[in-house]
Amino acid sequence: MENTINFGIDLGTTNSAIAKFVKGEVIIFSNPQDYGRNTLPSVVSYRKDKITVGSKAKEYLERDSKSVVGVFKRKMGTSESFKIKSINESKTPIELSAQVLKELKTFVNTGDALDAVVITIPASFDAIQSNATKEAGIQAGFKQVVLLQEPIAASLAYANMKKGREMKDGQWLVYDLGGGTFDVALIKISEGEMKVLDHEGDNFLGGADFDNMIVEKLVIPKILEKHSFSNLEDEMKSATGKFNAKYYVLLRRAEEAKITLSSKTSAEILIDGFEDEDGNEVDMEIIITRSEFNEIIKPNIDGTIDMIKKIITRNSLKPIDVQFTLMVGGSTYIPYVRSRVEEVLQIPSNCEIDPTTAVAIGAAYYAATKPKEISTGDNNKKQTSISIKASFNKASKEKEELFAARITGDVTGLSYRIIRQDGGYDSGIKKLNERINEDLPLVDGAYNFFTFTVYDNQNNVIETDIEPIGVNSGFGISGQPIPEDICLEVDDYDNPGKTRLQLIFQKNTILPTKKTITHQLNKTVIKGSTDEVIRVNILEGSHLALPEANKVIGFMEITGNMIKRDVGKGSDIEITITMTESRDLNVAAYLNMVDQEFKEIFNPKARFTSIEFLKEQVEDLSDKLELEIQEATDKEDYETAGALNKLKKEMETVSEETDNLTNDDVTDKRYQLEDKKRKIAQEIDSATKNKRIQQVKALYFEVKEECLKMLDENGNDHERKTYNDIVAQEKAFFATNSPMKIQEKSDEMQSILSRIRWRTPEFLTRIFQWCKNNQTKMNDQAQAKSLVDAGNFAVESQNWERLSEINSGLLNLLPKGAEKEATTRIGFGL
Amino acid sequence: MQEIKKVTVKVPQAYLDFMNQIFEIEKKAANLKEENSIQRNLNKMKGILEEEFFKGSSTIGLTYHNPLGEGYSDTRTDCEATIAGTGVENLEIIEVIKPIIFYAYQENDKVIKVIVQPAVVIVQSKNSNL
Repeated sequence: MENTINFGIDLGTTNSAIAKFVKGEVIIFSNPQDYGRNTLPSVVSYRKDKITVGSKAKEYLERDSKSVVGVFKRKMGTSESFKIKSINESKTPIELSAQVLKELKTFVNTGDALDAVVITIPASFDAIQSNATKEAGIQAGFKQVVLLQEPIAASLAYANMKKGREMKDGQWLVYDLGGGTFDVALIKISEGEMKVLDHEGDNFLGGADFDNMIVEKLVIPKILEKHSFSNLEDEMKSATGKFNAKYYVLLRRAEEAKITLSSKTSAEILIDGFEDEDGNEVDMEIIITRSEFNEIIKPNIDGTIDMIKKIITRNSLKPIDVQFTLMVGGSTYIPYVRSRVEEVLQIPSNCEIDPTTAVAIGAAYYAATKPKEISTGDNNKKQTSISIKASFNKASKEKEELFAARITGDVTGLSYRIIRQDGGYDSGIKKLNERINEDLPLVDGAYNFFTFTVYDNQNNVIETDIEPIGVNSGFGISGQPIPEDICLEVDDYDNPGKTRLQLIFQKNTILPTKKTITHQLNKTVIKGSTDEVIRVNILEGSHLALPEANKVIGFMEITGNMIKRDVGKGSDIEITITMTESRDLNVAAYLNMVDQEFKEIFNPKARFTSIEFLKEQVEDLSDKLELEIQEATDKEDYETAGALNKLKKEMETVSEETDNLTNDDVTDKRYQLEDKKRKIAQEIDSATKNKRIQQVKALYFEVKEECLKMLDENGNDHERKTYNDIVAQEKAFFATNSPMKIQEKSDEMQSILSRIRWRTPEFLTRIFQWCKNNQTKMNDQAQAKSLVDAGNFAVESQNWERLSEINSGLLNLLPKGAEKEATTRIGFGL
Repeated sequence: MQEIKKVTVKVPQAYLDFMNQIFEIEKKAANLKEENSIQRNLNKMKGILEEEFFKGSSTIGLTYHNPLGEGYSDTRTDCEATIAGTGVENLEIIEVIKPIIFYAYQENDKVIKVIVQPAVVIVQSKNSNL
């Protein structure tokens, strides 16, 4: 248990914050409900069943002033109270402040017992106001409350930041311009003791006024220059005005512009989305310069300076007697505020501390020096006999899910709060009853976790037996998994003329699912021509198998007849494949170059088999079989040859029957033949698998050896790591017994090799020499010459990096025909 | 006692700015009267942010949600709202200045989403006489 207070709270008029001193440093607790913000708006809202404090309450402040209260700090110590219509009760400024303090307690995530605290008060607070603040602290459950004046707190934050350097005796000003209030105080330090000598303030001046002025004085006049409105300002500012919503959009944008202007000399404000009285759409972007902004806020800033002047005169000081003006409060980020104050007063502005958190930080430093005067009692997490039985659906497709709970035990004076883990939902603090029903909003497509916390009447956490609430939304529960891989057939660039399968959805993926794949076309399709087609063939079955061995579940052809204009080689095709829960397959192919989309829906009831495509496949398979038999016989692998020969007869029958099919055959024949073809392909696949595995394994080891050699000589750490990763997986991918898988790893190894090679002088020189030999074939002779010259120089000066660039340049100059022509059955590939 | 395990994720502001721009373009594209396929490019960009940007890490990526037309109440901490008009009951989101940005990641086969930017919205009562 710590024996100093350590916790400091800035209980501000507009914003509050809490900080803690830990081992020489101060940490500011961030607002768990407000995305990384450290502050809590000092606004309290009362509804029938709950109390909300902070930004959510602030949103309702202007519109629902009968139930929401803000700026009550101004009324501290008065007998005035606020009538809250929704609960038909009055609340005193003390009670309201206690709510803010209680909310701040929930920021603390360190598990500390929060029984003692330093709370800051304005320099202007008298004894009654100070006592009222203390009382608020006690009501919020603190047993010991120490008060500290805000300008002193800010000065302490500054002094501690300047660690190791003693603060000289003397005087300075603390200039505190926040969101809605302004305070200035004269501080004197003498023999290590700080005190407030004098202060002034304006309770109705701050950053929010500047946002208003931007809209009123800059934005509206600029709209009126271009558009006609008879009463734009009123229509915007009046709650019943036509453009009231637009006014708030502009205020938001004005605030953003104001922040931008702190670092840049101009900012843009977008104005759009409504029409003027002549029916013309307003869509403009206006530029606000820093000097325009400075001009409009000048009278207000000068007003604050006049107050400082009064202090200086009253205390018979000269500017030279004041060391600096310490800038505090968010609005002192504005460069003009800093420079104007400095310029007029001739006192340097000091902007070294974070203006938004300085007061809380200073309070924590002060707290670290104050001993705790209370007995260290039990932890604030109180044990009670509360037991909660919760019921809710663990999976839901609804936007909201009902959470119901029954509480046993004494619920008197207790409240609860439910928060969604992603920060998107907060029930607010509500009275705990024996039965609770709450609609919890869910984020689609994700696991939603909620925490249910019970508090006592001072917002101390009460231990309960409830587990976190987890609801899976969207998919995963009622959706069924796909039994086989779903693949797309693509041209196989490693084996020209052949195709391979690209995995789209892996086996056991939960439906519904969707994926978009983009490929570059490897052929040009001329409008109107039927010579070249693009094929989108979706298959079901292992993605490591041969395409012919899998079942076609969706097939689409795009011919020249279907396109608006020619589609060039190299342009993109985007294929979107969607599978619904009932296994309907939606295939959409979009050709970028022509901006055309082709869509088809395939469902499991009907099979789509293109006779033409089937014929082609059967023919290919027949050739393949012949080839394999030949190869096996040559190698004297009679076992394989025998197995394949058995298939020959069957293959011949299928070939014959397919040939006899007319393209408009309406019988089931095509499906039967397709099945037979698939079976033959599977058998060829298994009969020859060993051979292919041996081939790819041999290739893999060859590449691996070469790669290791190159790595030793020229590899970098990243390449070594990639290499080691592949080697570590060796056992696993060999065990798959899939030639495709091993080939894939071999390719990865090969790409490491190419990368290293592309750095070695010998290889680069060789490529360069080859380019030089082909120089005459290049597209742009003049450029080729200058690149070759540069290359010669790079070789001479051994600038290999440059040579690498030059080689790429030269290779690009070679006519496309010189590149290896890919075979193009599908139209795109890997 | 359960712990309030709050996952905080810091996504570089530039990514968020980038997503906000895509959102703006999407809004403008929806207003274009002549036929176009800008939406396709936008979907593509959104897809890249959702799937490609963080490939290799355990992350899934960034997505956004436009809450336009949805109901609003003070329990919605996924939006920073300004209330326009006169009433405060039955609120509806009528303008979205910035969308809700989620960062999704996988944990024990569960997709978990974290809000990295709350939406900035203007709301108004459906009963408002505006």
